[in-house]
Amino acid sequence: MTPRDTFRFSLQLLLLWHGILAAAAAIGAYLAATQAFDLPNWAHTLLAILLGLSMAASAGAAWWLWRRDRRGRNLSLILNYLLFVALLLLWFQSFNFYLGINSLANTFGRGVPFLLLLLIGYVVGAQADRFEQKPARARFFTRAGKYIALIGALFFLYAVGILAGLQSFLARFSSLQALALTLLLALLALMLWLAWRPGVAQALSARNSDEEMLYGLLFLSPNLLGFLLFFAGPLLLSLYTSFTDWDAFGTRNWIGLANYGEIFGLTFANLQSPTQLAREVIDITRFDELARLNLFGKHILVGAEDKLFWTALRNTLLFVLLAVPLSVVPALLLANTLNAKIRGMSLFRAIYFVPTIAAVVGVALIWRWLYNSTVGWINYIIAAIIGWINGLAGAELLSDPAIGWLSDTRVALLAVVIIASWQWLGFNTVLFLAGLQGIPKSLYEAATVDGAGSLAKFLRVTVPLLAPTTFFVLTTTTIQAMQLFDQVFVLTTPPGGPGTSTTTIVLYLYQSGFREFRQGYASAIAWVLFLLIFGLTLVQFQRQRAGADA
Amino acid sequence: MKNSLRWTNFLKNLSIYLILSLFALIMIFPFLVMFTTSLKSASDTFRFPPRLLPREALSMEVAGFAEPLPLYYVDVDGAEREYVLIEKNVRVGVYAPADDLAAEQVRELALVKPTGGESNPQSLLIAGKQEPLYDIEVAGQITPMIQVRRTALGRFADPENLDRTVLQNLRLSQPVDRLTAHPENYQDVISLHSMDRSLTNTALVTIIVVLGQLSTSILGGYAFARLRFPGRNQLFLIYLGTIMIPFVVLITPLYQLMVQIGWVDTLAALTLPWIFTAYGTFLMRQFFISIPLEIEEAAVLDGANRFQILRRIFLPASTPALATLATFTFLYAWNSFFWPLVVINTGNAESRVLTLALSVLGGRAADSPNLVLAGASIAILPPLFIYILGQRFFVESSTSSGVKG
Repeated sequence: MTPRDTFRFSLQLLLLWHGILAAAAAIGAYLAATQAFDLPNWAHTLLAILLGLSMAASAGAAWWLWRRDRRGRNLSLILNYLLFVALLLLWFQSFNFYLGINSLANTFGRGVPFLLLLLIGYVVGAQADRFEQKPARARFFTRAGKYIALIGALFFLYAVGILAGLQSFLARFSSLQALALTLLLALLALMLWLAWRPGVAQALSARNSDEEMLYGLLFLSPNLLGFLLFFAGPLLLSLYTSFTDWDAFGTRNWIGLANYGEIFGLTFANLQSPTQLAREVIDITRFDELARLNLFGKHILVGAEDKLFWTALRNTLLFVLLAVPLSVVPALLLANTLNAKIRGMSLFRAIYFVPTIAAVVGVALIWRWLYNSTVGWINYIIAAIIGWINGLAGAELLSDPAIGWLSDTRVALLAVVIIASWQWLGFNTVLFLAGLQGIPKSLYEAATVDGAGSLAKFLRVTVPLLAPTTFFVLTTTTIQAMQLFDQVFVLTTPPGGPGTSTTTIVLYLYQSGFREFRQGYASAIAWVLFLLIFGLTLVQFQRQRAGADA
Repeated sequence: MKNSLRWTNFLKNLSIYLILSLFALIMIFPFLVMFTTSLKSASDTFRFPPRLLPREALSMEVAGFAEPLPLYYVDVDGAEREYVLIEKNVRVGVYAPADDLAAEQVRELALVKPTGGESNPQSLLIAGKQEPLYDIEVAGQITPMIQVRRTALGRFADPENLDRTVLQNLRLSQPVDRLTAHPENYQDVISLHSMDRSLTNTALVTIIVVLGQLSTSILGGYAFARLRFPGRNQLFLIYLGTIMIPFVVLITPLYQLMVQIGWVDTLAALTLPWIFTAYGTFLMRQFFISIPLEIEEAAVLDGANRFQILRRIFLPASTPALATLATFTFLYAWNSFFWPLVVINTGNAESRVLTLALSVLGGRAADSPNLVLAGASIAILPPLFIYILGQRFFVESSTSSGVKG
């Protein structure tokens, strides 16, 4: 057989394959459309659509291949690749590959000592760089390092139970389904290989741009598939869920904007007197009293359908208003101080960064202990300072407040603000410092020549030139602050307590979605939060723009 | 003139260092408290005033007593001495002469005798009440006094001469102590709350997420930066737009997805959804775009395929971007809490990660802060250790992500 014949044979095989595939996909789509499988409704619809698309693509590929059109090869490759990935994922699932991570965790600890061998191998291999003059010795070290690492890896695999894993893997082959799946995978791989070969590409006069496109899609595919499966898909589903009354288990009904209506449901009523009872003016089976306003002598009662949401919104906004300035303004001043040419700058910078790397849960537990109202450090330090002031004044000027940080509804939110600002301060300082180091020294020198003092230099040179960094810091800190959850959840008992004084929007979302299982409602809250964050970012962006233009 | 300038400079520098050190102390102090408290004994943690270093009360073997006796600081004639506690609840009375109630004397109830003896006890009428009188000896002189109140004190003795004893309020006495350490707290918290399993889980999840995110981001970033295919720019804009979307928007459908494919309560749910991120792809794309085209073109002419170009040219050149991405992914994966809380049953030690175990521990062992903070140390110290090793790397990568981004 000449090479030409081989390629003709490959093309015919591909044609045959796509014909069969189109027919199989058509049958599958028909079965799915008539709900022949043991699947939920939505899965049937999805499957029918996907199989229909595969059928169309396969038929198209066959047609183009028949016409010797290079697009046939592209389409064939893309379709076969997608099918291959889908089946591979299914194959992994049927072999319990994903759950294998848990079994790996069972034995992982046993393997850790052998990972040290890997490290030693790396160190030994790195010694080769020291003998550039003596190639023989360098080669010896490279090789020795490689072997040590290899032995370490083998021992590691053995220690974590690769043999047992292989055994259970092979045992699964006994089922017909697994065998069929494996066979199908092999067939798809064969087809991919057939179409990929340079000879076939030449026979179909494929262009360079085709190769580039195929490589582009191939490289992007793991990312894009993950993005679609774990981000874009859930995002659309979340929007859909927010219009339903889904409870995570049973059916879900389309209820339109009812969730959003409940979130924002407010009512206003005129009061005869400031102390009139709420039930006399509003329907208290639907609304809870939210606030009483006094507008120019007119008393108005505000009722809310979901009072807790408004409380959470107020707490969150209050938190943002306190924690953002508290973690940004000192950071700017600290960065400015650090930017002076002094010794030990990088040491201080390193220390300020430490809270950033610590787990929020751990940090919250530490602070919970510091906040302890009887034996905690914070109250002790406050008492000591007050004692010192009183001692200086020689009189009882101040009394020890003995603050119940986490039990007093008035200060609990402040306690959270302090922790969050403390933890974000260092990161913001480091960001500001990087921004400051980008400002040319010549500008400061020019300002000095013009006779500007250090305050003037800070206000006229530093602040305007730092605006992009400030924008970035403000935006990221605000976004982070709007999503406050971990700190509150760990610090306060019950989460959000005392009362509802530290309930935040995300905490409320968690409670509605995963404690009361009102997942539709929780999704609606999530979208409201997203719009809030988006709006705040937009405002900051506009202001930064306006500042830059001025 | 010159001298005064040097002086003001010195003062300026001093104040700068003072401010910087104060903030450094504020940043570090909670971690110091965490570490030292994790080495304390349970009773030591609740001592007031709080002290940083773990201490333990000293005790002493004394002849005639089976158990070692605790040592306390006692006040003997105005001097501070170290005595052993030999008796806890010594019942005493406080006595004073009827005409001068301020001149109080403390005597053991068992040793005081009524004035006039048992047979003929005498008493005094004060404010319409009969107050019995007792003989109290003060400096060799016996005076009849009334009992003002009763209380209980501790009896402390000089360990060298047990006959020399002092009565003193036990609650207000400071025990003699010395520095100590209880590293067994770590063992306790590991065995009682299976923290070792959580540590393994967290490490495994972190490794998989970091490696996975690096590889998908490198491949995707390269495709976006260098390979032309239809819809590339539109797709990139979509990617960019999604960076701002907060994770909580995805949480209910992602949870549903995990229920559908049976991953609830497994480590797979903590790893696989997190190995694809728009942010990482964006970061790598921005970096790859800055690498000059000419190098690549030369390699293409030499017949290298795309994988080889990526491996031989792009990867070695992009160490800083890779370090940034690895750093952030590492911290994110190690410290993440919300998603594990939703998808893992907190009671399931098999799939629990450190943050979850820690939150459970914080609830259960609230009365033993030494154990809770030992747990916190287990979660915080490994990243801290890595941070100290690669400090410059961490800080610099955070800035490159922020301002260049």
